[in-house]
Amino acid sequence: MLRFLEELWLLTGRSLKVTLREPWAVIPNIGISLFFLFVYNAGLSGIGQLPAFGGVPYLAFILPVALVSGSVGGAGAAGQALIRDLESRYFTKLRLTPVSRTALVMAPMLSGMIQLVAQTVLILLVALALGLKLPGGLLAAVGVVVLAAGWGLGFAGYAVGTALRSRSGRTAQAATFIFFPLLFLSDTFVPLTLIKAGWMRVAAHVNPTTYVFDAMRSLLAHGLVAAPLLRGLAAIVALAVVTLGFAVYTAQRTLRDA
Amino acid sequence: MATLAVLHGQDDSEQTRHSPAALGSGFALAAQGLRKRYGDGAEALCGVDFAVREGEIYGLLGPNGAGKSTAVQILTTLLLPTDGSAQVFGRDIVRDQDAVRRSIGVALQETGVDPLLTGSEALELQGRLYGATRRAARERAHELSGMLQLEDFAHRRIANYSGGMRRRLDLALGLVHRPRLLFLDEPTTGLDPLSRNALWDLVRTVRSESGTTVFLTTQYLEEADTLCDRIAILRAGTVVAEDTPSRLKRRMRRDVIELEPEDPAQLATLLRLVRRSQPSATLEREAVRVHVSHGATIAQELLAAAAGAGIALGGLRVAPPTLDDVFLELTREDGVTDTGEEA
Ligand SMILES: Nc1ncnc2c1ncn2[C@@H]1O[C@H](COP(=O)(O)OP(=O)(O)OP(=O)(O)O)[C@@H](O)[C@H]1O
Ligand SMILES: [Mg+2]
Repeated sequence: MLRFLEELWLLTGRSLKVTLREPWAVIPNIGISLFFLFVYNAGLSGIGQLPAFGGVPYLAFILPVALVSGSVGGAGAAGQALIRDLESRYFTKLRLTPVSRTALVMAPMLSGMIQLVAQTVLILLVALALGLKLPGGLLAAVGVVVLAAGWGLGFAGYAVGTALRSRSGRTAQAATFIFFPLLFLSDTFVPLTLIKAGWMRVAAHVNPTTYVFDAMRSLLAHGLVAAPLLRGLAAIVALAVVTLGFAVYTAQRTLRDA
Repeated sequence: MATLAVLHGQDDSEQTRHSPAALGSGFALAAQGLRKRYGDGAEALCGVDFAVREGEIYGLLGPNGAGKSTAVQILTTLLLPTDGSAQVFGRDIVRDQDAVRRSIGVALQETGVDPLLTGSEALELQGRLYGATRRAARERAHELSGMLQLEDFAHRRIANYSGGMRRRLDLALGLVHRPRLLFLDEPTTGLDPLSRNALWDLVRTVRSESGTTVFLTTQYLEEADTLCDRIAILRAGTVVAEDTPSRLKRRMRRDVIELEPEDPAQLATLLRLVRRSQPSATLEREAVRVHVSHGATIAQELLAAAAGAGIALGGLRVAPPTLDDVFLELTREDGVTDTGEEA
């Protein structure tokens, strides 16, 4: 166990190191999240006056969209890092060592999680600078970071699974387009009560992202409230179980004979 | 375990060929009936047996597509065999992968290095992944940079390395943990003559200093000859011969003569004529081919005979055997029964 943690630490450290050496692979992702935050807040904040928002400032409403898009992007970076190693064949070199197979697959995910947490904290700080009030205090902020990391982990499982399966940067990149329906077929810009299209409401109910948005919004606006938080966590656990299961299954198949 | 192969007592070399199928001690590496069928149905290995003694430099010699890399990948736990088994120091390559990985060092045909790391970072990390302390890993990295003439570049990104430097680094990565058995898949392909000689020296040094067993593949007869204690010749997934280089060469030191008639219609007549003095002559596309021990003399005789029979020649080739000639001759000589393709 100790050995496993050491291996994971070494491999994650290396993964982070090379990510920082190629920062242009992550900077656009942070940029997009901040862009969401600025543009939607500046352009739409007026609608926050509507009664449907229940007095929650629009900044607190739109911030989770920036955070979730950032965490999904950070998770995608985990898949990209793995693809890079598969393409340079460094991954084969690592497979030749007696290192735990689980550590081999978990390291890029963990490195993606660390990037994502740093990124979430950065976006939160920017939001605070824009005037975000946190009635729930530090605890609420930590809760938001945990939700973002959990959601990102779910995506990292998906990204790593598709990377191992396709072994090609382009296919793995294409697979991340699932991000768009997940991010936008939801109560992304306005509360559900303001969404008129029936199909969109159905989609938003089915889409697990909705529950993550709601959990984050509740944390930001009111602090710890059990019901939305638990629904958000349930959505995260459900996604993570499915995608991490997919990643482990794919890893077991492809690492033994590839 | 059933008898693995039938002995064909054609000459003394055949005795050594199949005998060490033993799983027991003294062998660094042994394979029995190794087969590999890829997903698309192509059979890359068709039942390969060999045994490599501890401390030996053993060469797997074969042309493109013979199955060398497939064999290396199976033996180093990267691929699963479709059938058959193999052991590294008695440990099964499928059931005991961790133990196998610990005792082997590998430099594959295609290098596997991370361009964003520096050479010394890659070496140090490799050492730590094998359980060395930070300090020990750093010292070993330094030592290997020296051994492979990478010092000047140790602190530069691998992205800036030349192809030859990448190969040397890749090899250094395989040596970090002082493996007891070293696999090298075409280690000198793409190296300039100087680097190639340096690599040969290095392989010899590693063996003599630490008693490391070396299993290497090559397409070059010359390389196998200078470096290896024993060679197996692989052709289309089958070992067609296994022996010491000198004994194989004795068998192979034969020139090739090819005679091509001006008029293809005379091919059969020419073949009959040549077979009068050289019964082993064969038809090879548009030419008559024969392997002989003194090419020049026999060629003269054959030319005279052809002239006497009024056959005009369009082409003539007298040459020492290429690797391909060796394979062609060996497969014919040994016959299909000897290739292990019992099915
Ligand atoms: N991943 C694969 N899928 C399907 N067929 C493969 C695969 N890898 C190799 N082969 C086939 O298996 C055969 C043996 O290939 P292998 O790479 O082992 O040969 P080799 O002796 O190493 O050749 P070279 O000298 O060119 O490196 C070839 O016919 C090749 O086309
Ligand atoms: Mg090869």
